[in-house]
Amino acid sequence: MSSLEISALCKRYGPAVALDGVSLTAGQGELVSLLGPSGCGKTTALRCIAGFIDPDDGDIRANGVSILATPSSKRDFGVVFQNYALFPHLNVAENVGYGLLFRKGSKAERERRVREVLEQVQLVGLEHRLPRELSGGQQQRVALARALVIQPRLLLLDEPLANLDARLRDDVRWLIRDVQQASRTTAFYVTHDQAEAMAISDKIAVMKNGKVAQFASPREIYQRPAERYVASFTGEANFLAAEVERALGGGLFRVRAGGATLDVRGAGPFAGSAVLLARPESLAIVTDGTGQLEGRVVKSVFLGAVQHCEVVLRDGASVRLGTPPDRPLPADGTVSVRLDVDRTWLMPDAVP
Amino acid sequence: MTRRLPRLALGLPAVLLLLVFLILPYAEMITMSFRTSQPGTMHGAGFTADHYRNVMSGGLYLGALARSLLLALFITLACLVVSYPIAWHLSRASGRKALLLYACVASPLMIGVLIRNFGWMIIVNVDGPLNRVLLSLGLIDRPLRLLFTQGLVALALVHVFTPFMVLPINNALRNINPAVIEASRSLGASRFATFWKVILPLSFPGIQPGLILVFVLATAAYVTPALLGGQMVTMMPTLVVQTLVGTFDWPLGATLAVVMATAALIAVVVFSLATQRLMERVRA
Repeated sequence: MSSLEISALCKRYGPAVALDGVSLTAGQGELVSLLGPSGCGKTTALRCIAGFIDPDDGDIRANGVSILATPSSKRDFGVVFQNYALFPHLNVAENVGYGLLFRKGSKAERERRVREVLEQVQLVGLEHRLPRELSGGQQQRVALARALVIQPRLLLLDEPLANLDARLRDDVRWLIRDVQQASRTTAFYVTHDQAEAMAISDKIAVMKNGKVAQFASPREIYQRPAERYVASFTGEANFLAAEVERALGGGLFRVRAGGATLDVRGAGPFAGSAVLLARPESLAIVTDGTGQLEGRVVKSVFLGAVQHCEVVLRDGASVRLGTPPDRPLPADGTVSVRLDVDRTWLMPDAVP
Repeated sequence: MTRRLPRLALGLPAVLLLLVFLILPYAEMITMSFRTSQPGTMHGAGFTADHYRNVMSGGLYLGALARSLLLALFITLACLVVSYPIAWHLSRASGRKALLLYACVASPLMIGVLIRNFGWMIIVNVDGPLNRVLLSLGLIDRPLRLLFTQGLVALALVHVFTPFMVLPINNALRNINPAVIEASRSLGASRFATFWKVILPLSFPGIQPGLILVFVLATAAYVTPALLGGQMVTMMPTLVVQTLVGTFDWPLGATLAVVMATAALIAVVVFSLATQRLMERVRA
């Protein structure tokens, strides 16, 4: 159990830059997700932390002490691999107990500890099975148990749910969160799935081309993204081109967007043009005259609990939103759209 | 039925080949081993088990058999020790480097058996390049007499059998998921512990066939021991050839050959049975 601090981490493979000055911190007991598309450097960062590769530049400190000179076998970090990487020739109990062979403790203590962890991940009764005799979800549990049994200072998870089907994914995700919370283990979690990252993390680092685009809480990442890339990677997003007229103070800005003048929140300063983020849930089709925007429904899809609509606004921008499925849309498609300005966010339109 | 026929036809050449070149010759040899000897002809009229009694009670034959099997065992183990690091490097290499390494590994097989052994004779000669280099470096005072020794035979056989050990082990090592090695390290295992507990067992699907191949080849090796070993020590294959060609006693020669093949087969079967559990665990 420890805190981890990564500063200005760089890694190049020939001309390709995998990590370009990544800085992150994880406080004790926190779960930090590295979120991004494939090739963004998230796995490289995790492998640097684990000690499988050496960064070209930068530092990694655990509890304030640099660990770069420490081989992975001495770091005391539990790693859960994407393909589980179980020892195929060892049964479940031997796989889980493997890390204890290199630590103090009698055989009886080791067996007790293995049983404890197997109980934690609900695998009791499968001790003598070989990995190939287990389902994907069970293998993932063994991988988790094997990493947890050594009571690691840090838990590193590399896309642990990528190979599971959707239903299992939920179960194992909650299991990971539960055991991580119960043991108060600091954890890094690599994923490309924003919903997974949202659900499980204390903090999320959204990565882009080897850099951290934003590092903040899930709520902050979703509601107050630093840039368009972060907003679109963390969920359904509408972007409206906005002309900033003036700052009103207190984080409020008066902008022209979607053919209306709006007072919205943002983290300026802005000069001239900006981008207004309006998540689908901040938009609603209204008939009571409170809508600030006018538009025409060009597409609608009935999805059961909700009806998805695409609306082209007067200035030509198109937005997606949801409406209650039982409310009929006007025959000519002309609608009034209300924008909940408290749930919008103004962002710079280009990031240096 | 018409659909089945082509499949049967596909298997036919292999069956024929086995029948003509394996089963029939062995049947013929086993039959020959029970015939009576008669000087001047290939064999006499009747059948007898005397040759087996003779071979099993004779210290000459059993001694040669034991020596052959022991030498083969030693060569096999030496081959494993030499080959494993080579296989490891080969399994980590890719592209041109891998191609070059493959060529080096296969090189002993690219030269005919006679040329290769004459090469050894030239190199280890009392007046040969090896002795000259060692003398000029001051490592030895007098030239080493290596020719016609068991040591040289073993060295030459290890050299030529190395590819049969390296290639299957290389294959097995390539099949190990690299993340498994990382997992072992991250759980606290040293490099040595990782090798011993993970890499070695997981490469056993390559080690087992390598050991069997080299052992069988080494047991039956004739040309190299005959050329480099001289007449000092009698090996089983040498005895077989002497009996067949020298004294022209085909029934006895056949008996010796059957005994030798059976001994090698028993060794292989015992080894396979002993390692069966491990193999079942590590098979991919």
